Amino acid sequence: MSTPEAGLLVALVGNPNTGKSTLFNALTGLRQRVGNYPGVTVARKSGTCDLGDGPKVELVDLPGLYSLAAASPDEQVVIDALSGNIAGDRRPDAVVLVVDATNLLRNLFLASQVAELGRPVVVVLNQADVAKEQGLRIDTELLSRRLGGVPVVLSSAWKGEGILDVRRAIALAIAQQTQLKRVAWPTNIAAALADVAAAAAADTGKQISEADAQRLLFDTNPSTADRLGWTIAQREKTLRSARDRVRNSGYNPMAAEPLVHYAHLRIILEGVVIEGLGKAGRSAAVDRLLLHRFLGPVLFLGIMLGFFGSVFWLAKFPMEWIQSGVDWTKTIVAPLLDAYPMLQSLLADGIIGGVGAFLVFLPQILILFLFIGILEDSGYMARAAFIMDRLFSWCGLNGKSFVPLLSGFACAIPSLLSTRTIEDPKARLATAFVVPFMSCSARFPVYALMCAAFIDPLYGAGWQSVVMIGMHCVGLLFAVPTAFVLTRLVLKAKPQPFVLELPRYQMPKPRDVIWRMWQNAAEFVSKAGTVIFAITIIVWALSYFPRDASVAERIKAANPSASEEVVKAKLQAAYVEQSYMGRFGKAVQPVFDPLGFDWKITVGVLASFPAREVIVSTLGVTYSVGEGAEADSRQLRKAMQDAKWSEGPRAGTPIFSLAAVLALMVFFALCSQCGPTIATLAQETGGWKWAAGSFVYMTALAWVVAILVYQGVSRIS
Amino acid sequence: MNIEAVIVGAVVGVAAGWLARRWLIAARRRKEGGCAGDCGCATKVKPKK
Repeated sequence: MSTPEAGLLVALVGNPNTGKSTLFNALTGLRQRVGNYPGVTVARKSGTCDLGDGPKVELVDLPGLYSLAAASPDEQVVIDALSGNIAGDRRPDAVVLVVDATNLLRNLFLASQVAELGRPVVVVLNQADVAKEQGLRIDTELLSRRLGGVPVVLSSAWKGEGILDVRRAIALAIAQQTQLKRVAWPTNIAAALADVAAAAAADTGKQISEADAQRLLFDTNPSTADRLGWTIAQREKTLRSARDRVRNSGYNPMAAEPLVHYAHLRIILEGVVIEGLGKAGRSAAVDRLLLHRFLGPVLFLGIMLGFFGSVFWLAKFPMEWIQSGVDWTKTIVAPLLDAYPMLQSLLADGIIGGVGAFLVFLPQILILFLFIGILEDSGYMARAAFIMDRLFSWCGLNGKSFVPLLSGFACAIPSLLSTRTIEDPKARLATAFVVPFMSCSARFPVYALMCAAFIDPLYGAGWQSVVMIGMHCVGLLFAVPTAFVLTRLVLKAKPQPFVLELPRYQMPKPRDVIWRMWQNAAEFVSKAGTVIFAITIIVWALSYFPRDASVAERIKAANPSASEEVVKAKLQAAYVEQSYMGRFGKAVQPVFDPLGFDWKITVGVLASFPAREVIVSTLGVTYSVGEGAEADSRQLRKAMQDAKWSEGPRAGTPIFSLAAVLALMVFFALCSQCGPTIATLAQETGGWKWAAGSFVYMTALAWVVAILVYQGVSRIS
Repeated sequence: MNIEAVIVGAVVGVAAGWLARRWLIAARRRKEGGCAGDCGCATKVKPKK
């Protein structure tokens, strides 16, 4: 990876949904580094940007935000990064302000605030192609002059247009130190700002910038004062009198900043944008249908049905190819180790059987993330958020809860961390508590295995999609009343307004979608090669040892006239049953008996408490060891389909009946089976009380609901 | 003790040790704040070393 030659740092800032990250990708290519800002979980994405004739610079993509008034950790990071207040990070040498060309007034509000930071600025009017489609013509030269001579460039990052102009503009801004024209504050507000700056400087002994003085005067959030070390006792009187001064000049102190900035911007933008006839109404027309009160949810359900149906349909053949590859490897490796039965079993049953059972789901994971990428980049995901927000607001969750809950369908960990954007601590706690109910992608292989092995052969491919959607809804079904009780009765949280910006519909860019799909696939394969690999070895050892010689003698004595093959099969089954795993599974199985789980499923369930997807490889190992290394390397699905109860009132009946399969999926949908999620919940809620509560509640709920499902379906079917 | 048992013992021991070490490191990183990188999430967000 090349490094910036001149050590220059350039920050990319802008409102959300302005195509900022797409521009960042276009400017840096794949030369990116991802880390964290120290002390917070806000990602620091940086890369090397070649400025053509000029030097290479380090470009850092800051989180999207609407203003510099810090209300969340993300916004605070942007302010600190722009002000050079992050330990170990330099103050940017220039700022690239990415602006939505179709909405200059609202987007330039941030520009008007950034001006106060006194850094060289480039204004990029991105999504220029959409502006053109909408019939908007922007006079960039006039805008540049009105903004104080900073370079103003038109670009369409997703089409790769204007990228060279942006590179040149950055070089120009650094060379000429071009700065944005600052807002002219009315006399009384300017005096109030001067008073605040003087008092803070006197009390703290620090130099107070104009930007800091504005944050101190206009924000109720104390983060700037805290950073400067200006205590409540010191600032209270000064801020009260300064805000009174603002009020006396006819402005509400909390609204003065946007009012003055927008007045400043209206003057700047006069005559800059010429509106013609365009296609502005196209998105709105589609939205009238997709966001319709009744039709919207129906269409949403239809899209989801098609989505999951396609995942199964498209992945079917690649999965069979991988399965054949795994089987072929097993048949090649096993005979090579005939002289070493223990090693043979470790390799064939443990490693190849366990990891192979997990890797088979790679095509489904790839297609799943391909569709998620398309839904996100086309702009539909934000509409889905809007449709579902009605449900969440009904159950008393904060409007801002929606994004963490939606991202919980991918993984609960980043979702729990993203609850930090929720200011109200009670709403944040309630959201964090219900996030683990969202059906994360780790549950997907469990559902996929059960659907492919039982639902598809018994009821057809159509029902696979229905069951899959049902399983994704089970968590929601219980999250909603849980959130309702928690917010309304336990925490008594007050609902807060939520503003959701709906991006325009656009054609997803193949490179971005494929790149995200690739990242997720790499993560999946890396997990198979590391954690799953190690766990399958442990599970194999526990289901292989001890191997008591008396077992073989007992089996042979009990079956004197049986063929060698039959004795071998019985011996393998006896070995697994008396293994550590078998003994443990049998001891705990009575707890799961009402759910229809035999001891092997019980072992899988227990092994899955650290990470739920482990059940797939665990079943792969336990069923494979039971079959014996020399036996045909049959698919896990087939082994499960053939499994029957050997004793008790259900003897001879299939273990994986429809009732047991549904109970198992429901159990996995509701149970708290993820060590990192529980640890993160403890970290985010400041102790183990809520994390332990979540674990006990979810596990008990999963057990009870799975019993109801098993008993109910058993009686019907 | 035969060589087969030694190899299998070593493989199982290394796997168990690696898992234990990984979980300990994750717990320490989580204590420092942020994603410990042990969840399999696709965010690739890891704390600064």
